[in-house]
Amino acid sequence: MNDSWRCEFRHVSIRFNGRPVLADFNLGLRPGERVVLTGDSGAGKSTVLRCLLGFVAPDQGRIFVDGEELTAESVWRLRRRMAFVPQEADLGRGRVREILRRPFGYKANADLGFPETELPELLERFFLSEALLQEEIRTLSGGEKQRVAIVAALLLHRPIMLLDEATSALDREARMAVQDYFAGRSELTVLAVSHDTHFQELAHRVVELQPPQGRNAR
Amino acid sequence: MNTSTIDIGYLALAAGYLLLIIPILLILYYRVKLLKSMLVSILRMTVQLLLVGFYLQFIFQLNLWWLNLLWLLVMAGAADLSIIHSAGVTVRKFALPLFVAVLAGTAVPLAFFLSVILQLPYLFEAQYFIPIAGMIMGNCLRASIIGLSDFYRSIYQEEKAYQLLLAQGANLQEAVLPYARRAYHAALNPTIASMATIGLVALPGMMTGIIMGGASPMTAIKYQIAIMIAIFVGTALTVLLSIRLTRRGSFTAYGTLDPAIFTEKPA
Repeated sequence: MNDSWRCEFRHVSIRFNGRPVLADFNLGLRPGERVVLTGDSGAGKSTVLRCLLGFVAPDQGRIFVDGEELTAESVWRLRRRMAFVPQEADLGRGRVREILRRPFGYKANADLGFPETELPELLERFFLSEALLQEEIRTLSGGEKQRVAIVAALLLHRPIMLLDEATSALDREARMAVQDYFAGRSELTVLAVSHDTHFQELAHRVVELQPPQGRNAR
Repeated sequence: MNTSTIDIGYLALAAGYLLLIIPILLILYYRVKLLKSMLVSILRMTVQLLLVGFYLQFIFQLNLWWLNLLWLLVMAGAADLSIIHSAGVTVRKFALPLFVAVLAGTAVPLAFFLSVILQLPYLFEAQYFIPIAGMIMGNCLRASIIGLSDFYRSIYQEEKAYQLLLAQGANLQEAVLPYARRAYHAALNPTIASMATIGLVALPGMMTGIIMGGASPMTAIKYQIAIMIAIFVGTALTVLLSIRLTRRGSFTAYGTLDPAIFTEKPA
């Protein structure tokens, strides 16, 4: 057991309806490391992130966050070390400001205050206007929603960032702004699913996943 | 109150069916594909109501507290199965909590109605106990179906948004709160809307029944007001309990919705 891993997957196997999605998957991330997962669709990239959050339970293998095993009991505590930007972010209903503020009302985040003062800088960096805060989230474009989801994740000040195709709906300029931002935050541990070459260049490591059946065939 | 309601003879009732010629002609002329389902429904209505009439007459004659209570339990069981079927959830996980929800949701306003409002010396008087229980429970059933389906279906259909709340640090109660709020709204709104328009558009069933039973319209509206309040309280309580009591068994220890609760997956 290596305690210096921020997150670690040990021999993780997952099946959905009998179909293997991950087979004997191993991966460790050190604090401050940026790892990009790539691979064909169906290779289990999103599943890796969802596993870490406890949304998918492995059939075999173990997952650790900061040396603590992820279990039904620890997951509620360990989720507070991670921030997640899902693919095609669905942020629910309400105005953008309410949605950004919502997590700070949860008991688990009671020690955090809503970092209102950080908002203008984050919005500006990602080319969002402050007027957007008053808008209903459903009226936003896909790219705007995605950037709001990224801002929501950053405001929580979590050390581990899980990004699932988090820049897929952005134009080149916004995409690079987001990716460069994460590259500049060297204290963050980033596990990102992305096919973007710029993001891959900024990563410390690129891990290519292959569907378990394909792996056996090669 | 006098008992001046005129009885309807069986032959006279049979004559009533003759009126059906009008919708039947309409259906035949326009070839609306409803003929078979209409005939089946009319037959079912007749048979079901005849049966209810027979056994209620029996129950009313005996007027035993335990038999009336048993009737309430049986109806709660029937309502329970009806909710489970309509909401498309499993019997194994939902039967017991929903039975409790319907029974408690009906019993609380019923007891209040009979003891505080009507001030009956004998609470299990079949003449009051059974029709009032039936009216409250029928509405509890409807509200529970709406609330329960809305709650679990929304979480299933908006799984990603729901899981994002968990990822942001919400505990189970916090994560389901927006969905519970929407479900309560959907379930309570019909009763609230009907209270706002009652008496304007159509005369409510209970009130007309009491008037035809020979009571004055003022007595009738007092009953109607009391029953509307009892129904609203009953539906609120049933929906609250339906969601709260089924929640424990419907989510995994990780906080995700267990898809095995559905007998058919929501579209």
